[in-house]
Amino acid sequence: MAYTPQYYPGSTSVGINRRKHMSGNLEKLRDISEADIVATMGHRAPGADYASTHPPLKEMGEPDCPIRQIVAPTPGAAAGDRVRYSQFSDSYYFGPSVPYWRSYYGSINCKGCDPGTLSGRQIIEARERDIEAYTKKIMDSEMFDPALAQMKGCTVHGHSLRLQENGTMFDMLARTEMGKDGNVYQVKDQVGIPLDKKLNLGKPMSEAEAKKRTTIFRVDGVSMHGKVGARKYDEAVEALHHMWELRSKWGYRPE
Amino acid sequence: MAVKHTKKLFIKTLNKKFATEQKLLASKGIKEDNLQDTKTGYLRLGPDQNARKREFMEYAKKLEGKRGMTGYNPYVHCGGIPLGQRQLVPYKLSGTEYVVEGDDLHFVNNPAMQQMWDDIRRTIIVGLDMSHEVLQKRLGKEVTPETINNYLEILNHAMPGAAVVQEHMCETHPGLVDDCNVRVFTGDDALADEIDDQYLIDLNKLFPAEQAEAIKAAIGKTTWQAIHVPTIVVRSCDGGTTSRWSAMQLCMTFIDAYNMCAGEAAVADLAYAAKHAAVLQMSEMLPARRARGPNNPGGLSFGFMADMVQTSRTNPADPVMVSLNVVAAGSMLYDQIWLGSYMSGGVGFTQYATAAYTNDVLDDFCYYGVDYAVDKYGGFAKAPKTIDVAKELATETNAYGMEQYESFPTLLEDHFGGSQRASVLAAASGITCAIGTGHAQIGLAGWYLSMLLHKEGWGRLGFFGYDLQDQCGPTNVFSYQSDEGNPLELRGANYPNYAMNVGHQGEYAGISSAAHAGRMDAFACNPLIKATFANPALVFDFADIRGCFGKGGAREFRAAGDRALVMPAV
Repeated sequence: MAYTPQYYPGSTSVGINRRKHMSGNLEKLRDISEADIVATMGHRAPGADYASTHPPLKEMGEPDCPIRQIVAPTPGAAAGDRVRYSQFSDSYYFGPSVPYWRSYYGSINCKGCDPGTLSGRQIIEARERDIEAYTKKIMDSEMFDPALAQMKGCTVHGHSLRLQENGTMFDMLARTEMGKDGNVYQVKDQVGIPLDKKLNLGKPMSEAEAKKRTTIFRVDGVSMHGKVGARKYDEAVEALHHMWELRSKWGYRPE
Repeated sequence: MAVKHTKKLFIKTLNKKFATEQKLLASKGIKEDNLQDTKTGYLRLGPDQNARKREFMEYAKKLEGKRGMTGYNPYVHCGGIPLGQRQLVPYKLSGTEYVVEGDDLHFVNNPAMQQMWDDIRRTIIVGLDMSHEVLQKRLGKEVTPETINNYLEILNHAMPGAAVVQEHMCETHPGLVDDCNVRVFTGDDALADEIDDQYLIDLNKLFPAEQAEAIKAAIGKTTWQAIHVPTIVVRSCDGGTTSRWSAMQLCMTFIDAYNMCAGEAAVADLAYAAKHAAVLQMSEMLPARRARGPNNPGGLSFGFMADMVQTSRTNPADPVMVSLNVVAAGSMLYDQIWLGSYMSGGVGFTQYATAAYTNDVLDDFCYYGVDYAVDKYGGFAKAPKTIDVAKELATETNAYGMEQYESFPTLLEDHFGGSQRASVLAAASGITCAIGTGHAQIGLAGWYLSMLLHKEGWGRLGFFGYDLQDQCGPTNVFSYQSDEGNPLELRGANYPNYAMNVGHQGEYAGISSAAHAGRMDAFACNPLIKATFANPALVFDFADIRGCFGKGGAREFRAAGDRALVMPAV
């Protein structure tokens, strides 16, 4: 019988959503054009050639290497693309994804990528055409919401701040704006350089929808540990206790 | 027993902190928010909204003509989008009434913070007994309380940089070095009685009776000099200077006080005894790649840091307050000065560190956890020293803290960086476990569990460094192999895995302190350190770390080492 990865414990919606992110089995919620994704990333103009750091692998005459024979290069690596990035910031207020789950998603599902995880942002680097494809998949999916997740290459603070009055995450550089039609528009690229035109990212999720799709445990949503005086630990906590205890005991080696 | 803390201490502070914002919002016709609203109006008022930023800009304007080039200008940020897109709010020093601007807590703007570090690095502890033995046995001199008092009088003339024995020497201006002093302390009450009060650190008067007895028992009938060389000396040189500066003056003073020949071979014996044989630096020398001598912050152990802070002497009944003052001292020194300036640069480190000693947040989380432990186990340090207890106390304290961040968006916004939240939650968990059990290693176990729970709940932790230090950290808690583990009191800023990460070292010092504060110990690691920093003549008040930082921020603190005396008036 083929092995099916379990990915993550727990039967709550948060546990289920975390498993979905890790497995890559994501629901597609929107279709943002490739050109708009490229413009938002800001590494090249839409339609421009890819810059390269080396000739295509086929032209390079690679050494005889068993690993190279086993692992097929990604399209970006095969073409010699430079490595570029996309970085997302996720709101505490039921943002659909959280930094570690973005990294787990990347590590498991995005070949040839290098994820980095912080508290207010999460970056994935890869060959340029590969990261563009990964970013589109992310932004079209339930891992993204135009109000509660933003692509921010720098000046990222906002994830832990109160939301703006219109329900969008605070952004010091105001890279997005809420349109009168209820859609969120990208007006600057991820490092804050103004775009030639506004790009429609679609409507934000409703509060109920965001709570349904979120991967963050919160006391006003799905709590990981119940409340003061009425503790009830999620299965994730029990698994974590087990792991912490074994790690701690392993370190005690008096020999 | 602890005072029962049923209120959320940070609420009063947040109300004060966000009061200006609420008024501003109301003036713009935006519904006045409360601490639990998840939305607010962002007025994007820029740096002009804040008095300190205005002061900076006005001063920079004055300097422009003088400097002949541009300088401070917050409008060059991010292509002209200035700092202050959200409301700039002040900080309250925890446990005090001081409210200051964030800028006032950068150590460059805060003379009290500088003085705390100056007072540490200008200190060295030198034993007197071996020198006395050499004088008596090798040189046939008589040593009595009278000769010791005479020696101390000469030493307090020489140590600031004045001459004895030799003439035509260049001396220091007494007004520039008035903070320099040498006092002695001893476990021998009979000898202490004979020492002139002005030269004595009187353990019996300065410490509660039980603590004084414990310290005297630990040091026995030995006698030690608490030497504080002038602040201006270590500011011109560095901490490595302290032992050299003091050693030369000690030796010259012995020659003078005991009418010795300045050249005979026996003086070499005395010089070794007086300068090197019984010397305690405040911190160890670091490896060559760190390129720092002794008495620099990187080699300062957490146990020594815990003992430098004197709140255990002045407020022994409140081990949380003791621990929090150690956290404050450690966060400032290790994060803002050591990692933030010696090891790195920039302005981010202040922001990280302040979370641990402002706005009564860590205080609230710690009192909650310790009350829980006291209620369950019947007092401080009464809980079994087991991994199960660490699991229970850390999980409860961490859960409480996370819940507060989730319930009070203004609190989450106050600690807007994940590293701040991670440090505060883990410190509260660690301090709770340490006070509850009286064991620093159980506290450390609680710290790491908190980190993992935090990451699990919110899917994020601190910056990249937390991936290494905190997720693999549990394995070093109980390890006693030399390059992996140690009792927490003996670990320090340069311990493997701790050497690179802001938001940890001050808290580890706090956990070291908490274990002993919970047990009502007189000291955490070294009685000589505890006694030395009880010296009332120190410029910085090591019993009230946070109050002193507040004074520094409020521009009420007078530091030593000022050069104004020998410069033209501004």
